[in-house]
Amino acid sequence: MEIKSRSGIMMMSMFVIVTISILFVAFPGGINAQQEENVFVTHSGAIVKTTGEILDPLYTSATVEFDPMEYLRDFNYGRISQLDDGTTLREYTIIANDEEIMEVSPGIFYNVWTFNGTVPGPTIRATEGDIVRVKFINNGEKEHTMHFHGIHPAGMDGVFEPVGGNGGQFIYEFEAGPVGVHPYHCHVMPLEEHIVHGLYGVFIVDPKEKRPVADEMVMVLNGLDTDFDTENNFYAANTIPFYYQHHPIQINTNELIRVYVVNMVEFDPINNFHLHGNLYKYYPTGTDIVPSFYTDMITLSQTERGIMEFEYQYPGKYLFHAHKVEFSEKGWVGIFLVNENQENTESEEYGS
Amino acid sequence: MAVSDNSSKGKLIASGVIPFAFLIILIAYIFGPGSELLDLGVPLPEVTMEKVDFLDSEIQVTVRNTGPIPVEVAMADINDRIQPAAVEPDRYLERYETALVRIPFEWNEAEPYRIGITIEDGTRFEKEIEAAAPALEPSLELLGFFAIIGTYVGIIPVMIGLLWLPFIRRISKQKYHFFLALTAGLLLFLAIDSVEEALEVSDESLAGSFNGVLLVATVLILSFLGLYYTGEKLVSRAKSSRITKPVAIALMISIGIGLHNFGEGLAIGAAVGLGSVAFSTFLIIGFALHNTTEGIAIASPLSREKKVIGKLVAMGLIAGAPAIFGAWIGGFVYSPFTSVIFLSIGAGAIFQVIITILKWIREEGDKNLSSVAVASGFAIGMVIMYLTSILV
Repeated sequence: MEIKSRSGIMMMSMFVIVTISILFVAFPGGINAQQEENVFVTHSGAIVKTTGEILDPLYTSATVEFDPMEYLRDFNYGRISQLDDGTTLREYTIIANDEEIMEVSPGIFYNVWTFNGTVPGPTIRATEGDIVRVKFINNGEKEHTMHFHGIHPAGMDGVFEPVGGNGGQFIYEFEAGPVGVHPYHCHVMPLEEHIVHGLYGVFIVDPKEKRPVADEMVMVLNGLDTDFDTENNFYAANTIPFYYQHHPIQINTNELIRVYVVNMVEFDPINNFHLHGNLYKYYPTGTDIVPSFYTDMITLSQTERGIMEFEYQYPGKYLFHAHKVEFSEKGWVGIFLVNENQENTESEEYGS
Repeated sequence: MAVSDNSSKGKLIASGVIPFAFLIILIAYIFGPGSELLDLGVPLPEVTMEKVDFLDSEIQVTVRNTGPIPVEVAMADINDRIQPAAVEPDRYLERYETALVRIPFEWNEAEPYRIGITIEDGTRFEKEIEAAAPALEPSLELLGFFAIIGTYVGIIPVMIGLLWLPFIRRISKQKYHFFLALTAGLLLFLAIDSVEEALEVSDESLAGSFNGVLLVATVLILSFLGLYYTGEKLVSRAKSSRITKPVAIALMISIGIGLHNFGEGLAIGAAVGLGSVAFSTFLIIGFALHNTTEGIAIASPLSREKKVIGKLVAMGLIAGAPAIFGAWIGGFVYSPFTSVIFLSIGAGAIFQVIITILKWIREEGDKNLSSVAVASGFAIGMVIMYLTSILV
């Protein structure tokens, strides 16, 4: 069929325009007949339905590659033997790698550089005066080292002795000290790059007179710059953003909790740790047995660390998070789920 | 004889097809066995947030994969703070595919927001919104509101401009040429204005892969050529049919201006829709003054005609009414792509009209385009448009 006259075209276009106008009015919300399938909860508690997929940093323990819950209370005491003079020798093997791609937040993959395959690396624990011997193997492509904070000879400092990649080795050996909680990290230039990719961990030196028995845990406060613009895209306690918010840390009422906190966040000058519904005794660097503060808020600069001790009187859910709220809204937030203490669990041993 | 004819035909076809065959072989080789040779460099992913709507307790973002490789949408944030969100229909985006990211958020009106989308490799993309404004829900009231704005900005000013007709009618040939040149000046300004607007929109909201500048250039030239061809047909037929040449030219001018006003309407509707403009009476006045000049452009060629009232009204509507449709579309279903396309079509149409007018002046005015009347008319046209544009 052919439209012959110009007025015919005019009529046609008028018809189209009128039809479209009517459709706008008749279907204000657009045509949306799909069925709703998935449901998620917003930060403010609202429940939202979607026909699509949910974008929420919410890990189920089945899918997480690095399990922060396992890391939290995992202490590596090394292979123990006695030297001739009776000193305890603790031997550790640490393997560096820099090629692993890890899912750091649901759906987001990042090239992590690791000690023993995780970020943070294993928590190395010894008692003051023990001999610490770390067999360091570098299976990465680049040079790496282990630089411990603490007291040791210059040649054991992990700065001027870069260990070549693809199997390079080095033995770090020194006497554990001083008492406290210290970081260890790679010290190869460009230093910032080697640290922010994940080459760090915690080194705990226990006093010879043991600290009181407690439910002990390690929290490394860290950040992830996934797009390399020297600003962190994520923050966390123990690498995985929001993990302890969706998987609360279970503790008991009237039980001493001891948290070894180490701040490894780069780019941002400070980080901090705020605890809800309670205050904690704080031992900066853990070098003293008398607490310096009784507070619910401490501020930490780079590699600043300490020990926090507290007990919860009332059961329930309590947040802990950076009170630099930007960090908590980007993942550095968690929950203590305090359960009613059924029995006095005084039998728990630590150290060996 | 027939055999040789056939074989020469065969040769002709073969000589036309053979290069194509080689091209296909080349493409097949590059995608197939040769692909490893070209596997150099790192393809960088890219997504573009084309549209952001502020709904009730929710921000909706239309995300398009505008990079060379497929991407997965992994996370959404508002002002660099991570938010739980949903992506529909799913998070996997092939090249040029779009998805709707729904971010529940209690936003505040008129506040600026930065919307962030992070993809699977950790790259974060950001779009800044100057001021949050509720997305327009199509309603009769709003339809009417846009119609009124379109009328104020499009139809009324053009009609007022047309009222200069009796004045132009009484003046001498020299002065008449002045007004025709003035029209060309006005139109040239409008065309440049359209191009600038199109480039601006493509720069702000269109992904790099659309090649904004070349898109504008291509559409502009196609529009110019298309209208030039039909315009010439119309003008040459004018000799034999009812419409005279001046009427044909005036019709071409009003169509060109109509296309331009459609683009202007899109911009106005979109500005209201995106909340980036407070629609003040001052702005309406600015547009009205600016567009009154468009009426003069249509009136000038018609001034030597008789019985033009009906034609004038029709042309005024052709030139002005598209502003209403533009405002509707811009306000309710804005897309930067259509906006760029229509602005470019408008610019091409106007360039065509300018050529037509200049040709006409030249034919009428003793093959002379460098008379005082023409030169000053052209210049003053540009200046008037510039001065009134400051008001917008």
